[in-house]
Formats: sequence, structure tokens, C-alpha cells
Amino acid sequence: MNSSPPPSRPPLRSVLLRSRKRTILGFDPQTLIKYFFGSNASVAIIVLVLIMVFLLREGIDFLPTYQRELQTYRRAGLEFCDIIDQPLQRNQALSSSLRQAVSASLETLSKSARDRRDAAFLLKRQVEDKTARPRESLTQALEKTPPAPEQIEVMRRELREASANAAKALSYPAFFNTAEREQLQREFAALTPEAADLPPLLQTLVAEFTAKDREARAKFAPLVQAQEEFEEATEPLQEVVDQIKAKALETKEKAVEFAVLETNRQRLLEAAATETDAKEKASLTKEAAESVSEAVNLEESIKEITGRTAELREQVEKYAVVIEKAAAVLPKDAGTGAARSLVNEVREGIPVHAREMRAAAATLDSWRWDKPVSIFSVIGAFFFGTQWITNSSWQDFFGFVPLLAGSLVIAAIAIVIATPVSVVAAIYTNQFASEREKEIIKPVIEFIQAIPSVVLGFIGISLVGNLIKDVSECSWLQWVPGFPIQERLNMFNAGCLLAFMAVPTMFSLSEDALNNVPRAYIDASDALGATKLQTVFRVIVPAGISGILSAILLGLGRVVGETMVVLLVAGNRIAIPDFGSGLGVIFHPAHTLTGIIAQELGEVSRGSSHWQALFMVGIVLFAISLLVNWCARAVARRFEPHKA
Amino acid sequence: MTPATNPESIPPPVVQVRDMDFCYGTSKALFDINLKVEYHRVTALIGPSGCGKSTLLRCINRMNDRVLSARVTKGEVLVKGKNIHDADVDLTQLRKQVGMVFQKSNPFPKSIYENVAYGLRIHGEKNKSVLDEAVERSLTHAALWEELKDRLNANALALSGGQQQRLCIARAIATVPDVLLMDEPCSALDPISTLKIEELMHQLAHEFTVVIVTHNMQQAVRVSDYTAFLHLGKLVEFAPTEELFTNPREKLTEAYLRGTFS
Ligand SMILES: Nc1ncnc2c1ncn2[C@@H]1O[C@H](COP(=O)(O)OP(=O)(O)OP(=O)(O)O)[C@@H](O)[C@H]1O
Ligand SMILES: [Mg+2]
Repeated sequence: MNSSPPPSRPPLRSVLLRSRKRTILGFDPQTLIKYFFGSNASVAIIVLVLIMVFLLREGIDFLPTYQRELQTYRRAGLEFCDIIDQPLQRNQALSSSLRQAVSASLETLSKSARDRRDAAFLLKRQVEDKTARPRESLTQALEKTPPAPEQIEVMRRELREASANAAKALSYPAFFNTAEREQLQREFAALTPEAADLPPLLQTLVAEFTAKDREARAKFAPLVQAQEEFEEATEPLQEVVDQIKAKALETKEKAVEFAVLETNRQRLLEAAATETDAKEKASLTKEAAESVSEAVNLEESIKEITGRTAELREQVEKYAVVIEKAAAVLPKDAGTGAARSLVNEVREGIPVHAREMRAAAATLDSWRWDKPVSIFSVIGAFFFGTQWITNSSWQDFFGFVPLLAGSLVIAAIAIVIATPVSVVAAIYTNQFASEREKEIIKPVIEFIQAIPSVVLGFIGISLVGNLIKDVSECSWLQWVPGFPIQERLNMFNAGCLLAFMAVPTMFSLSEDALNNVPRAYIDASDALGATKLQTVFRVIVPAGISGILSAILLGLGRVVGETMVVLLVAGNRIAIPDFGSGLGVIFHPAHTLTGIIAQELGEVSRGSSHWQALFMVGIVLFAISLLVNWCARAVARRFEPHKA
Repeated sequence: MTPATNPESIPPPVVQVRDMDFCYGTSKALFDINLKVEYHRVTALIGPSGCGKSTLLRCINRMNDRVLSARVTKGEVLVKGKNIHDADVDLTQLRKQVGMVFQKSNPFPKSIYENVAYGLRIHGEKNKSVLDEAVERSLTHAALWEELKDRLNANALALSGGQQQRLCIARAIATVPDVLLMDEPCSALDPISTLKIEELMHQLAHEFTVVIVTHNMQQAVRVSDYTAFLHLGKLVEFAPTEELFTNPREKLTEAYLRGTFS
């Protein structure tokens, strides 16, 4: 249709030829820009690799170091002692239960007398505190030589007045009757610094309590006696154990010292060998020659320890017999229901404990001091070790399970709480909320992310902990496992706060996932006559499930890696949570992988086994995070049919 | 012609649009539409883009309800003699009676079986044998049974475009609606698939009443018994297809059919 000739154009050849462009350092600017962008993207990858390398380098030495330590632990005989000592720890728990039972029983009779006595002493204290100043001056005046009688007289009057005022201002508990109150007030007013004896009413109160206590002890004599016997039973055994423990520890310390000096000597000798200056060389050699200590004859000292095996076994047997007897005579009755259940617990616990002790004693013979510690058992000791003990005068253990358990339980609590909340909120916001509601809900939830975690930790300590504790004491909630709770700072508290922190991530990502569900699915469902709810739960949620799942996993990643809140709120008890108590376990305190690093890394010396152990924990944490993220991606890919 | 007074002699048309105006907010999209759709006939809606075909179609199953401030401002739409905007009309039941197939095939990301069974499930059918039977019947109707009977548990998104669209038809007829609305069902398909669906349309007309929007004049001629021509929101002409194509009464229709249309 265009009949007019086309506008004049340059000849084809010159169009196709590349025009000469400016170059920078011989490079085309386009290429340079490409490299610039590419290198920025690579920085992230490089940094990630560097972090991994660094973590590995610091952490991987941990295994040989720990192997050496465990080797010494065995060679010096500490392990031998622990065979008996570890199960013996149970004794303390039993005996403390028993003590509690006894005091609870005694209190049924003596509580009111004791309260009266304690209250009276407390009141006396308050008076003394209030009149401290005049009393002090009076004491000084009395000590002065020569004494100044009229000055003393003035001071006495002052003190009397002050005491009388203070005694009048006190609030007397209701269990003192009027006469007693008046007498107490009089006695307090007359308190003087010289008086050695207690005022008469106080003395009566003390006597009252002593009588009541004696009566109570007589009433619960079998229980009291059983408790005393049980307590005494350990003494001979403990004595033997303590002796061999002391010996083992001494050996260990010598061995460690020797090792330190020996490595020092080696280093000095090496330095001397490379040193050229003759004088320096001589001084280094001399220093090296001094850096020796007597090598410990491990075999010799271990003999001293294992030589007492028979004695030890005998003592264990004796101990077992005694405590079993104590269990047998434990009375059925105790003062209160709680005490009765404690006593029952102990009665059932003792035979088990005795059995454990006997079993432990039986293994003593097969223990070998020179059995090498394999690297696998070291790996096992780290990954499956149930004790994380550091800075111990006895032996450090780096068992990872208590920390992992704490982290996992807390993460599980957080996810269990956060998932329904955030997914339901996302569904509501995406499908049911009006535009105005959306405008409120979304920014508010996303704002949570901006709260510094240390502030949340604050809230956990000051608010949530008390709240949970108060709620747990409600009488109509006692059916909840673990109620009433003992500790304000516990895993549940930390889990709640972490759930709160995970909600924004999980909510936003779930909401995105629902948003990405194609409009056409909703049209189809509507056109078939589905109600809104049917469409949401039969079409939209299933279609967005991959996004929702990966949102949950990414929330999990956030929760596992969070440090500050758990450090502040989880209670930081390094022990495997007591899963025996069922669901109530969530109200126990625990420590976590992240928390332990934050807490301990600042205090350990660089390069020590403890330092390296913390890096190992860091490596595992890193691996867990990678795994969680990888899972999130895999899930997102796995259930993505509408993108196929 | 009131259906209530004389139901036996003249059954009411399955869909009847009377003097209807339709607005999207303040802008009027349809003006004074009158349309009667007969039982077991295929009715085609044709017209230039933006003339309001989809809007009219969506009025019949109230799919426009979701569009904010879109409403019928005058007149009424009757399905089987009942005004669908009456307060006592259950939208769920209406849509069970009036199925819809969309321009772009949109099977759910579920198995073939679940796609077809979906409509029955949401209307409360739980009996497995009833569902099995309905799935087989619907897929057979949609000429898919032979192809797919061995892979009913495969994901519907793994099917070809044409198969997907026929699956959507199967899904729509599983609840045995009286009317089947189709909005350019073949516009995204290749000629072979289109042909298959056109064949299907004749079959479907034995059991259902079909209203189809199409841009393809030949298709309208091939599949429909009646054709309505819309222009700028007005129903210009509505007549048996043959009559409308061979002997249009209106100038506008003629111009449109001949392609000399401004
Ligand atoms: N959701 C909506 N909101 C506002 N206006 C709309 C909406 N949907 C359609 N319209 C308007 O209504 C008029 C009719 O649109 P409709 O989609 O019914 O046209 P159509 O005939 O189906 O066109 P096509 O052949 O391109 O599909 C158009 O002017 C359109 O801009
Ligand atoms: Mg349209």
C-alpha cells in the first residue's frame, strides 16, 4: 500500500558492521557491567562457603581433642569411679524426696508453732532494724572507757523510745491473741543491746515449737528413722568412692600437667633447632630442659584404684542391703497426701536403685584402663552424649542430646502454636477479609517482625512467665499435665514467644501461597455451586498447600535459629527434659543449641576443647538450618501441580 | 404466557431474560435484553468484542454477583420460570441447575476422578457407587471415557488442552444441570479439539440446553439452533440460526456477518 519510496537508508553493509565502541582497559563496557553484576551475586555464595570452611576448621579439631580428653578420663581411672558414682547420684534424689516427706509430715503438727515462733523472731528483727542507729551508738558508748554514765542514760532513753515506737508500728499476725500482742510489744520496747537471754514470751514460743516438733517426731518416728537410716547408709560407700576419686583426680591432673609441659618442651626444642643465634639457642635449650615433669606411671596408679574393686563391691552390696531394708520398713502412713505419694515413690525407687548399683558393681571387673578410645565412640559421645558439663573439676563432657532436645521441643511447641494461628489468619485475610480489614491485618502482623527479639525476651521474663504460672495455679486447670508449674522460665514460655516471632513469616508466605492459587480454580468451583467455605477448603487450600507447607518449614527454620529469646526465657537448665512426665515436660526449663553458643562462647579460652565443642554445635545448627531450608524448597517443588 | 396459570400446555422456556438492564457500577453494559432459550436447543451468542456476551451469559448463573457493585438494574432473569434474583433462591442450587464452562480450561489440580466428582461432592454426595456411576456417565458424555478410563487417578493437569476442556465439560455436566453455559470454549484449542467439542455439543443438546458464546461464525452455524447477535450491549437480533445467517432482518447483523463492520 505504500507507494512512496522509503526514506533514504544507509547501505546495508555499513549497518551490519559493528561500530567501534569505546573500551575500558580493553573491555567492552557491556561486558564489564555484566561482570560487575555477576560478582555482586557471587559475593553471597563466596561468603557462605567461607562461613562453612571457617566453621569446619574450628570445629573439626574437636573430635581428636575430645578423644584425647576421654582417653585421659579412662587412663586416669575417672571412668572407673563414675561407674559407681553415676548411679549413686540417684541416692540424692531419693533422699531429698524422703526429706520433703518427713518435713511435710512433721509440719502437720508443728506448723502453727513454728509459724508463731518465726513470726515473733521476724517482728523482733524488724524492731531491731528500725532501731539500729540508737542501738549502735549505745553499744559504742558502753564500750568506751571510761564510761560516761549520764550520756549512756540519755542514749538508753532514746533507744527505749525508738523501740517502743517501732514495736507499736508493727503489724502483728492474727495468730497472736491480744495478750500476746501486748506482751510482745512490751518485750520489744524493752530490748537492750546487752541482754543475752531472749525475752520470756519468745522463749516460750521457742519451747512451744520444740515440744511440738518432738511430739511430731515421736508420732512419725518410723518415717523419721527410715529417713535417717537411708541417709546414713551411703556414708561408708561414699567414703570409699571419694578416696578413689581423689586418687584418680590426682593422677589426671598430673597427666594433664605432664602433657602441657611436654608440648611446651617440644615447641621450645623446635624453636631452638631453627634458631641461628647461639646465645638464644642455648637459652631455649636450657628452658626446654627445665620444662619437664615427672611422667606419671598410669599403670601404677590405676592399680591402686582397681585394687580396691573388691572393697568397693562389698560396700555396694552392703549399701544395697541397707537401703532395701530401709525401703521395707518405710511406713505406709505419712502426714499428708503429698508426703504419702513421695514416700511411695521412694519405696518403689529404692529397689530399682539398688538393682542399678549392683549391676554397676558387677561391671567393675570387665573395665579396662588401657582400652583405646575409638574415634567412633567419640563421635557417639558427642552426638548421643546425654551430659553437657563444662568447667568441671572432675571431667568435662560435651554431649549434644540435652541441647538438641531443648531446641527441638521448643521448636515443636512454637510450630504447633504458630501454624494454626498463621495459616488460619492467612486464609481469613486472603479469602474472607474486606479490603479495609486487609489493610489493618497485614501491616500489623508484619510489624511483629520489627520487634527486637531481646524485647520479646523481656516480655517473656516479666509478663508471660508470670501469666503462665498464675494460670497454672488455677484450681480448675489442674487436669492439665504439668500444672502447677515450678519454673516461670521454661520451654513452653520460650515456645510461645518463638511462635509469636514465627507468625509473620508463616503468615506472609502462606498468604502469598493462597494468593498464587489461580483465579480460574475459584471460578470453576463457584460455577459448580460451591459455598465459599467449600471453595476455600476443597480447592484453594489444597492448591496452595505446597506454599503453606514451605511457609511452615521456613518458620521452623526461623524458630530453630532464634537465639535471644531462648537464651532469656527457656530457663537454661542443661539437662535432657524429663519426658517421663508426659506432656508436662513442656513446662520444664531447658537449654538450646543457639543459647549455649551465645552464652558460653564469650567465656571460654580460644582453641580449648570447650571452644571447639561450641563450634561443633554451630556446625550442627548450620546443618539443621540448611536441611530445613532444603526441605522447604523440596516441598515447594514437590506439590506444585498447577505450575507444571 | 404466564407459566403459573397454564403450566401444562406451554412449559416456560428454560431461560428467559426479560427487559434486563445490567450495570457495572455506573457504566451500563447491557440494555433492555429480551431472550428466550428453548429446552434442548443450542443457542449461540455472537457479537463484536466487548458487546456484552460474557456479561449476559454470566447473568444466567449469577456469576456476576462476585463483581463488586455489578447488578441487574431493570427487568429479570427467569430460569425454569423462577426469577433467579428472588430472595428465596439458593445460589448453590441455581448453579447446580446452570453449569458453566470457561474459555480457558480450568481443571482442579486433582485427579481426573476427583475433578468430575467435585460437583457431586460439594452437593453432599458421599456414596461411592453413585459417584463412580456419575463419573463414568459424565466422562462418556464428554467423549473422554474411552481415553481415560484406565487413568482416572492421574492428575488432570497432565492432560492435553483439548482433553482438559472436555474434562471441564464432564465436570460441569456431572451434576446434571438443565442449562450448560459455555464462554468461548474452543477459543484456546486446535482445530481437531475444536471439532471434537463441536461434535460433543450436538450430543449434549439431547440432554441439556446449551448457551454458547463464540467468535467463530462458522462454529455458530455448525452447532447452534438459535443465534443472538449483540452489539454495544443491545440485543440486535435473535432468530433461528439458519434464518439469521441467510436472511438477517437487521442491517447491523448483515454488516457484521459480511465483515464490513465499522
Ligand atoms: N468486571 C467488570 N467490571 C467492569 N466492567 C466490566 C467488567 N467485565 C466486563 N466489563 C465491561 O462490560 C462490557 C462487556 O464485557 P463482556 O466481557 O461481556 O464482553 P464480551 O462480549 O464477552 O467480549 P469478548 O468477546 O471480548 O469476550 C465491556 O465494555 C467491559 O469493559
Ligand atoms: Mg467474553
